[in-house]
Amino acid sequence: MKVLPFIYNSPKEYWNYFQPTNWLEFVLGEINPLYSVSTAKAKVIAIHSESADAKTIVLQTNRHWKGFQAGQHVPVTVEIAGRRVTRYYSLSSSPSAKNPTITVKRQKGGLVSNFLNDRLKVGDVIELGQASGEFTIDPSALPDKLLFIAGGSGITPIHSIIKTLAESNYKGQAKLLYFSRFKEDIIFFQSFAKLETGNSWLEVKHVLTDVPSPGYESGFLTTELMDKFVPDLKERLVYLCGPAPLQTSAKEFLKDNQVISELFLLPTQIQTNYQSSGPVEVVLLQSHKTVLLKGEKSILEELEDQGIYPPSGCRMGICHTCTCRKTSGSVTNIKDETMSDSGEGNIQLCLSRVDEKLELDF
Amino acid sequence: MKTISKKLSKAETEAFGAELEEIRKDVMAKVGTEDANHIKRVHKAYRYTEILGRGLIHFSFEPITFGIGTLLLAGSKILNNMEIGHNVMHGQYDWMNDPRFNSRTFEWDIVSDSKQWKFYHNYMHHTFTNVLGKDHDYGYNFTRLTDDQKWKPVHLTQMFSNLFLMFHFQWGVGAHGYRVEYMEIPKKLRKKRTLKEYRDVFFKKIELQLVKDYLFFPILAGLNFPKVILGNLLANMIRNVWTYSIIFCGHFTENAETFSPEEIKNETRADWYIRQLKGSSNISGSKFFYLMSGHLSHQIEHHMYPDVPSRRYQEIAPRLEAVCKKYGQNYNTGSFAKQFAEVWKRIFVYSFPNKIAKKLLGNVKEVQLMPEPQIVMVDTTSEELIPA
Repeated sequence: MKVLPFIYNSPKEYWNYFQPTNWLEFVLGEINPLYSVSTAKAKVIAIHSESADAKTIVLQTNRHWKGFQAGQHVPVTVEIAGRRVTRYYSLSSSPSAKNPTITVKRQKGGLVSNFLNDRLKVGDVIELGQASGEFTIDPSALPDKLLFIAGGSGITPIHSIIKTLAESNYKGQAKLLYFSRFKEDIIFFQSFAKLETGNSWLEVKHVLTDVPSPGYESGFLTTELMDKFVPDLKERLVYLCGPAPLQTSAKEFLKDNQVISELFLLPTQIQTNYQSSGPVEVVLLQSHKTVLLKGEKSILEELEDQGIYPPSGCRMGICHTCTCRKTSGSVTNIKDETMSDSGEGNIQLCLSRVDEKLELDF
Repeated sequence: MKTISKKLSKAETEAFGAELEEIRKDVMAKVGTEDANHIKRVHKAYRYTEILGRGLIHFSFEPITFGIGTLLLAGSKILNNMEIGHNVMHGQYDWMNDPRFNSRTFEWDIVSDSKQWKFYHNYMHHTFTNVLGKDHDYGYNFTRLTDDQKWKPVHLTQMFSNLFLMFHFQWGVGAHGYRVEYMEIPKKLRKKRTLKEYRDVFFKKIELQLVKDYLFFPILAGLNFPKVILGNLLANMIRNVWTYSIIFCGHFTENAETFSPEEIKNETRADWYIRQLKGSSNISGSKFFYLMSGHLSHQIEHHMYPDVPSRRYQEIAPRLEAVCKKYGQNYNTGSFAKQFAEVWKRIFVYSFPNKIAKKLLGNVKEVQLMPEPQIVMVDTTSEELIPA
């Protein structure tokens, strides 16, 4: 095919150039915002207040959303002030429910969590990704004895798991130790009360860390508390989800246990107080720009500070939207403080801090 | 090139630059929902005009509906190239984090490859605006527009070559891309192979575009294919003439100045602002005109702030004009007819050698300097500034 060599050699690329999916997406979107060729979207059909600063959002998904296992999380994309932002939230309903729910607790200074709590209305359409995560329970091999330890918003995947256990006629014995700051801060208080009365295998203990209240245990995770609540700790499979300080202290007690844990790092929590030795040159090959980055925050954030906006997603290293090819120079991974080699490779901009002169294919 | 702007001292230039930075900060703080909604609305208009335009061309049986369809398709292509393509590829909407409006992935409805275009336009043209030899957009390497460019006999034909370019502008834009890339390689490293690689990118895009407009859609029309081919050809041509007209008014009007590579050595950010101002010219018009020109009607604002969402240029313009007045700088603007006439006068005049060109320009009114700057530079070491 000498006449049309490029189309002959890469017909697929040419077909994509027609933007068939973009066109369909546009037409379907004009008919109904929930319709789509491939994107999982969801309509908000109800919003309940769950605690003083958490809300449960009930979603009606389109057919592209493939469901989830109890304990998994899902990327949620919303538009705030014209900008699309993505964050991960655990699903709090049981997978058998017709309408899945996410429960969002307000984070101090959090962009998306506050938006979802204050601005989201019934009828809004949000974009979902597919559920993922290893913080799940194997229904074919349910252990006899379980312990759940949760703190704050870490309760959401556990709520989903316990609801699922209740539905599947769980025969073993499970205990939940849940840390909240004060009484009104307890998420799913009603729901757990109902689950506890309906299911003899479940025992729930609420612990208040900040403001004591009569009828509630108060304080932090202590040997005393553990001995009293779970004398048979060693025999239990432990699910642990909550803020980093809770997880660190909990893991001290759980050295001999099998622990399944999940730690969500907020974008602002990944930052380290690393002091760099000085600004480093970063060459953006496609943009024909050279910028100076300090190497104190992630490359993504430092570029944004300079008015350059690479495509980005979850900002915690899960979604790979910000992956970018590095042709030379080395970076440090913020999460585990490992240094990359200085050759070619793909890096995640949200997780990388600049070390030496970089060249990015961006 | 004679300047009609007041020559500013170093301190005055820096103060001028600082005022422009201030404007940028003010405007960037406001960028958000409105700008996102604007580009989404324009995108919607672009999709609908294309559907409607192609539909009308396809199902028309008489000249009127065919004509309307062709105009709609032309309008759709203009929106795609100007208000969406040009601005999106400047990174004006990258902050939205929306793949449809991301400068890295956007590809437009024109035979120019977007990556090549971003190199010669965003980088070369916007960095070295009107610097002869560096900004290949100045005359596009075939039109002579200033006495600083050497005259060659071939320039006698530039009236005709420009007229030809006007109707085939997209081909000029596309071919310009790979040639600039090639010319920017140090002479020693230039090889036939590299030229072929660059050219293939252009050829690929040509193939993609031609098949779309002259094969795919005509085939859909069956035996009516000549009509669809004609409609697409006319729509492309209308778009070409329009974009040529708007773009040439940007830098080639009467008082748009040029610079030499020596002049821009050790240039500060403020100097760069001054050069952008002196080298660009605006067109005044209606809101609809601004939209259809992709806000290149506000060429000066665009050159000062290429990555600020384009609809903000309208609110920047009066502020910028006031600052220019304060500093005695010429703010080059006028109606489309005036600016376009000036461009063609320049193309005509400089098609002749300098001697004749001067004579032709001789009956032009004497160059009038702008009024004295109305600024008072405050000496920062002055004791008056130190609070008692």
